[in-house]
Amino acid sequence: MKRKANTKVKSSYGEKIFMAIAYTIVALFSICALYPFINVLSTSFSSSRAVGAGEVILFPIEPNLQAYRQLLFDGQILASMKNTVLLTVAGTTFNLVATTLVAYALSKPRLKGRKFFVGMIVFTMLFSGGMIPNFVLIKSLHLMNTFSGLWLMGLISTYNMIVMKTFFEGIPDGLCEAAAIDGANEPTILCRIVLPVSKPVMATMVLFYAVGWWNNYFNPMLYLSSTSKFPMMVKLKQMLDTAKMIEVSAAEGLTQTYIAAETFKAASIIVATLPIICVYPFLQKYFVKGVMIGSIKG
Amino acid sequence: MKKGREQLKNTRGKITWRNAIRRDKWLYIFLIPFLLYFVVFKYVPMLGAAMAFQNFKFSTGFWGSEWVGLEHFKRLLTGNSFGMILKNTLLLNIASVIFGFPIPIILAILLNEIRCQKFKKVTQSIMYLPHFMSWVVLGGILIEIFSPSTGIVNMILKNVFGIKPIYFMGSNFWWPVIFVISGIWQGAGWGTIVYLAAITGIDPELYEAAKVDGAGKLRQILHITIPGIAGTIVIMLILRMGSMMDIGFEQVYVMMNPKVREVSEVISTYVYRVGIEGAQYSYTTAIGLFQSAVSCLLVFTTNAIARRINGSGLW
Repeated sequence: MKRKANTKVKSSYGEKIFMAIAYTIVALFSICALYPFINVLSTSFSSSRAVGAGEVILFPIEPNLQAYRQLLFDGQILASMKNTVLLTVAGTTFNLVATTLVAYALSKPRLKGRKFFVGMIVFTMLFSGGMIPNFVLIKSLHLMNTFSGLWLMGLISTYNMIVMKTFFEGIPDGLCEAAAIDGANEPTILCRIVLPVSKPVMATMVLFYAVGWWNNYFNPMLYLSSTSKFPMMVKLKQMLDTAKMIEVSAAEGLTQTYIAAETFKAASIIVATLPIICVYPFLQKYFVKGVMIGSIKG
Repeated sequence: MKKGREQLKNTRGKITWRNAIRRDKWLYIFLIPFLLYFVVFKYVPMLGAAMAFQNFKFSTGFWGSEWVGLEHFKRLLTGNSFGMILKNTLLLNIASVIFGFPIPIILAILLNEIRCQKFKKVTQSIMYLPHFMSWVVLGGILIEIFSPSTGIVNMILKNVFGIKPIYFMGSNFWWPVIFVISGIWQGAGWGTIVYLAAITGIDPELYEAAKVDGAGKLRQILHITIPGIAGTIVIMLILRMGSMMDIGFEQVYVMMNPKVREVSEVISTYVYRVGIEGAQYSYTTAIGLFQSAVSCLLVFTTNAIARRINGSGLW
């Protein structure tokens, strides 16, 4: 801020060119990042004829809700959305409870064995058994095709736990000690004293975990087998794949089904991302904050 | 003697386990179930990776499966598909680092120079957005916009430059290009945060002094900003090196198709296809072990190099 006043003194010609270039590059990058979403959004609202003729550039051409009507009628995406919501809401709750308890216990320097426990947990960040041993484990525990298996697989993110632990370590000891002298036990201290001052980090955690659950594709794809349990991303991938197969087989001549599939695909993509896009502007600051808390340590 | 022991007991961190557990009963109650969780869900699979040395079958289980020593590793080194997936994994990673790694640094430096707060906020929000999208969605969008028949990119090529439609996703040349672009699209904006935080930590007086000496913006960036964030850059690079052997399954899987298998099959997708779908558990676990070993080696090597050049590494 201090610099701003001083730049007024002499803003040379070269400086101006530099600023112009800086603004241009940043603007161009943002446009490139955003444009694909807009194109797909417009495609989903356009007529299949306009999409097939390649007329959709920025705005929907011959706007209609055909694709969305088809999506409602088809019902598969919406049914899978129910699974995603269940996975996300319950999964995030489990994550929060587990992460908070572990982070809280490990944030106390007086805890005997703390170094060992932290080391043991951080070690899992560097090494893992890998895809196949995990798969074998889940199968051996008879957790295949259950949501519980997925919730257990993703119960604690070590990275998030460390972010939270760092935050808890920053809470003044005096607060907790005063409560302890008054006879409060740890659960009470955690709920009455620590949690109320931890709202920002909690918000960050909810967001990280919830977005993770919402977007997760690999684990559900790997561990779920019945179609009725598929979350939205697995379903969406299936639908995109069917459309892609038609594309490969009809590489030259366009068939009517294919063009209809194009708007349908676009509409499914939009429906699957809509919840994130809706909450995104409000929650963005927490995402950034979370990364900041994490990077201080790193 | 006795007195000394008493004193020892009273110094911090020297209490017995029994007393510690009694005092911090609740903390241990919070912690222990999850430590058990880590043992079962993280450490058991780590040890379970020993099945790379057996012929694991579900019917016989881990303890009943036949031990075959290094057979799978031999097959891995002599077979021809492993060479292909190793090459693809490394090439895609190297291309991603060369083209993708500098971009968040450049963007962060430019963003830092921007004074219009509104512009900065809006562009940052847009840049971060793809990071919060599932790869399924990003892949779907990419396939859509690069489609040879209706995709916008080919429309522009046809109508503006008069070039015949290119089947980007089905071309061995273009697929890796689009893969690298997709990584930049998804991660570059988000990647700026770390560097922006590092730039905030640079002493503003350095810039003042440079200005007094008549240094322009470009020189300030070259001589103050970049050296100021060099440590962060090195750390990020080391961390990136650790994943040189690893390409996220989802990113490849959502974009690949049979036509480009030759350039797109990487370790993770191969392990999935052969290991899970083909039920060759032990062979693919061997691949996983090999991958971890090389990753480890890479992290240590880069760290050593960074320490020699920079004076400090990750540890």
